[in-house]
Amino acid sequence: MQQTKKIRVLMSKPGIDGHWRGGIVVSRALRDAGMELIFGGFQNITQIVESAVHEDVDIIGLSIHSGAHLAYTKQLIDKLQEKGLKGDFMILVGGVIPAKDFSTLKEMGVAGVFGPGTMTQDIVDFIHKNIETK
Amino acid sequence: MYDDEYLEKIRREKEKWEKKFKDVKERDVKFETDSGIPVKRLYTPLDVKTNYIEDIGFPGQPPYTRGPYPTMYRGRIWTMRLFSGHGTPEETNERWKFLYEHGETGFSAAVDALTFNGIDPSNADGAPEVGTSGVPLYCIDSLFALTEDVPIDKISVALVVEPFTSAPVSAMYYNMAKMKGYDLTQLMGTTQNDILTMTVGYIPYKNVPPKHLLDLACDFIEWTVPMGNVPKWHPINFTGYNYREGGIDAVQELAFVFASACSHIDNIVDRGWKVDDFVNRLAFHLSAHKDFFEEIAKYRAARRIWAKLMRDRYEVEDQKSVQFRFHVQTAGSSLTAQLPKVNIIRTAIQALEATIGGCQSLHTNSFDEAICLPSKEAALIALRTQQIISDETRIANTVDPMAGSYYVEWLTDEIEERVWNYMDKIEKVGSIDKALSTGWLYKEMRDAFHKRQKKMETGEEITLGVNKYPVPYDEVTDVFRTNEEAMKIEIERIEKLKKRRDNNKLEEILDELRKVCEREENVMPVVMKATKEGATVGEICDIYREIWGIWDPPLAI
Repeated sequence: MQQTKKIRVLMSKPGIDGHWRGGIVVSRALRDAGMELIFGGFQNITQIVESAVHEDVDIIGLSIHSGAHLAYTKQLIDKLQEKGLKGDFMILVGGVIPAKDFSTLKEMGVAGVFGPGTMTQDIVDFIHKNIETK
Repeated sequence: MYDDEYLEKIRREKEKWEKKFKDVKERDVKFETDSGIPVKRLYTPLDVKTNYIEDIGFPGQPPYTRGPYPTMYRGRIWTMRLFSGHGTPEETNERWKFLYEHGETGFSAAVDALTFNGIDPSNADGAPEVGTSGVPLYCIDSLFALTEDVPIDKISVALVVEPFTSAPVSAMYYNMAKMKGYDLTQLMGTTQNDILTMTVGYIPYKNVPPKHLLDLACDFIEWTVPMGNVPKWHPINFTGYNYREGGIDAVQELAFVFASACSHIDNIVDRGWKVDDFVNRLAFHLSAHKDFFEEIAKYRAARRIWAKLMRDRYEVEDQKSVQFRFHVQTAGSSLTAQLPKVNIIRTAIQALEATIGGCQSLHTNSFDEAICLPSKEAALIALRTQQIISDETRIANTVDPMAGSYYVEWLTDEIEERVWNYMDKIEKVGSIDKALSTGWLYKEMRDAFHKRQKKMETGEEITLGVNKYPVPYDEVTDVFRTNEEAMKIEIERIEKLKKRRDNNKLEEILDELRKVCEREENVMPVVMKATKEGATVGEICDIYREIWGIWDPPLAI
């Protein structure tokens, strides 16, 4: 039987806001679901892209509670574009994200947005349904 | 509370009652408090072990279980203090004045992430967050803008900044007040200055190691109160609320704040002061969470624990030192982005817990809490929620109305006992900075995160709209957006200041600060001088970083 490669996830907090519960809870849930988890903690956009490439991840997860989710996500997408990496990673965004911004984020290229009260199993299911591992 | 003979009679009657109804079915759920304390079907005088005079007593008298003041709300209603700040100091000032006109009685500055972490807006790492989660307060000019036309001698201001930036931000406020002609010895207000908020409540971005954070917190307490510079100020507000929001329970919440308070007291006593010189200005900030009776019992237990700590451990002489006073914030983490209007009801119930429990000041959350910063409409409803309780419900007619409830008295005792046990556990690890640097507190927080998440995912803890009767996210509620120009405005504000100030003179003062940091002396006198000359919060914090190094907290997943 063919051994399937483990899904690799970088969990990152762009910016300087320190709400950390969401990132930790989701990280643990993904790890428990059998994924390889790289917890980046605070990283600026350049560091996020570097880690994602270096760690050869499939998914970049952004945990944002500062209200600056549109700005940081756009910065990441632009940086990936600039480096010719757009489309190489599944981008997920979670945090205090108003439902009104979900479609804006998706138009930018985010695969999934997870707001307050999300059950972690829903994130795991979403990944399994939508991921194409490298 | 009853004589032995009568208690025996109750015991016999209770046995008969139990026998008679032993086969009556109950719902198949765990009957326990939010903190996991098992709850019995019924409480009677048999459950109340306390001695009335010694353990419950009278308000305004030890052990203060019933309240710190003899008349409580009959004398004065709690302060209605909404935590508020967004965009720019000017916009926050406008919001403050709006709420003041509608009956708010205290201000509380919610600052942005840059102000919390001592980062100037020209730093690209944090620039997109200028004003997005609170008001930017980076230099003295911002404090003038924040308080324009606000009578700060009549209405007190709480500065919600933590040890890393409490000295520069408070110093800017004091310098502003002095320049406006206010007497610092009469100035009322609070600086939160809580070490655990920006370490385990939120993770710190490029702050210094915990030992220095504790010293900074205590420098500020020492300079304001025992040294007599701003003696009426509350120089610290031990903020259990912030870590409770992460998922720790009511028992841990109290144990965290008391263990932290003891570490601060010990630090200041080591500097040569007596506990009575400063302890009566220490304040607390607790949560009002989902479990109605448990929260009320928690406040009552907190007052009694503090009185015993002061009496037995610190042997204080001044009765004022023994009075536990606290601010409450209703639980933001209990609110949902689904059906947001239902949050108004949750907040109202939590506000009742706080006021029945005898808080001195209260923040009620806005119904859009889980979506964005409060809109004007949502903030006004939050304020009206408090005013309904104070002006329409008549709960303020009497002091500590829950006293004597067999359940609440039993639960008060139970919580007290559990808090003492958990405090022992923390203190075995060491002082609060050690509990941080060893990572022990991070593991406790991590465990709490996962425990609460599991309860939510299994449905053991119910949140309507989320895990019971789930509905999609609300797309109707207006999303309050902070000023997109804030970063530009704040960068310009600092550039203007830098042109105006005497940069050579400031450099000399900052050099003096370097030496003070190296010698580990109290930073406040130099920080007062530096901010008066126009130093920014970022410039002060960069010196802390340069001398003490940046701390990477030992997070646990």
